[in-house]
Amino acid sequence: MSEHDSSKVVKIHEHLHSHLPSESALRVKALETLLVEKGLVDSRTIDAWVEAYTDEIGPKRGAHVVAKAWTDPDYKRRLMEDAPSAIDELGYLGTATAHLKVVENTDKIHNLVVCTLCSCYPFSLLGIAPAWYKAAAYRSRAVRDPRGVLKEFGIEIDDEVEIRVWDSTAELRYLVIPQRPDDTDDMDEASLAKLVTRNSMIGTDRDLKPDTQGLR
Amino acid sequence: MDGVHDLGGKLGYGAIDVDESDVVFHHAWEGREWGISRCARVPGCTIDWWRHVRELIKPEDYLNRPYFDSWAQTDLAAYLNAGIFAMDEVISGKAEAGHYMAEEAPPVMDKDAVLAQDRKNAFRFDGKVESEPQFSIGDTVFTSSIGHDHHTRLPQYVRGKRGVVQCHHGAHIFPDLSAQGIETHQHLYSIVFEAAELWPEAKGRCDRVYLDLWESYLSGSDANE
Repeated sequence: MSEHDSSKVVKIHEHLHSHLPSESALRVKALETLLVEKGLVDSRTIDAWVEAYTDEIGPKRGAHVVAKAWTDPDYKRRLMEDAPSAIDELGYLGTATAHLKVVENTDKIHNLVVCTLCSCYPFSLLGIAPAWYKAAAYRSRAVRDPRGVLKEFGIEIDDEVEIRVWDSTAELRYLVIPQRPDDTDDMDEASLAKLVTRNSMIGTDRDLKPDTQGLR
Repeated sequence: MDGVHDLGGKLGYGAIDVDESDVVFHHAWEGREWGISRCARVPGCTIDWWRHVRELIKPEDYLNRPYFDSWAQTDLAAYLNAGIFAMDEVISGKAEAGHYMAEEAPPVMDKDAVLAQDRKNAFRFDGKVESEPQFSIGDTVFTSSIGHDHHTRLPQYVRGKRGVVQCHHGAHIFPDLSAQGIETHQHLYSIVFEAAELWPEAKGRCDRVYLDLWESYLSGSDANE
């Protein structure tokens, strides 16, 4: 079992702590250079992944799913029952979404998603997580003081609204369906998708506005 | 393991950076590390072992260095541990004769190929087990009050607590053993905890916390009674 020996890895980290340059860019460069020189990775493939997650895969996908759920009751039913299949209909099933679960906000319930142990996030649906989602301040406090966390994001939650915090401890990933704003009956799916913010799909945003742009 | 990574409920980490810009990668090196993590695979490294290697980063580095920097360090440590990299190569930043070299050239993928690959990367973690689930929806359960010294997904803040089974997800790969190179499946449940069960200051609040927990973390009776 030596290849899963914690104490050996602790020693490796000690060496890395002492010998690696302090700039992150140089550390990542060393890793990429070794991978390329050893024939394990081609830099053009890394370029393509950066491009894919910058241009194509991001929160606009999640916003599309939310807007479709708002406008198409059959789709919403499929999404609540079997979220991976429902997002696959739109071509969004992928990295870290094979066990997706959708949770819905109501007048009486607000959902908030966190990963206290690492940084689990539904990549193929929401793209790269914001840095705050992966930082100690959010990860430590979301499960203990969700109302205080939401207040920091400018969101006040009434005492009688139940907050449900979802700590992603297994391979399940969570998508929050925010409430559809009032006065949007005449809007189509594409216009509605523009109202959906990334944070509303994590739960750090709640009341979406019918007249503001959520996502680009 | 009871490490610095187990952050749930810990106090003193300050304000959340709510004004962070919406840019996807804040620095070019973050994108490089993301791309590396998508196309480089350490032989025999499961997601659970990789997470454990990350948990073992020195606490000062884990808490203070940027997020994707910790991914790079985890990759370096995992490659060193697997014998693919040698420490002198990591320090010099150059592959050296006498150490591992791949025999075939790596694939070259463009954006369309990568998008197709992302769809294929919808990995499932569920599988079959012989045993029937021990718990049913609505059952009261008690979490184990102790952890162990290797990787686990039972956070400290829910140890020895009372919860209720909200959902059964079938059997999923058990991370505590997967991180030690052993693939087994165990029944997985969403367990809901009243906030007041977890935090003294939450008395009277109607909030709840949900966690996805494996069967061996749970018991039908309270070990403290």
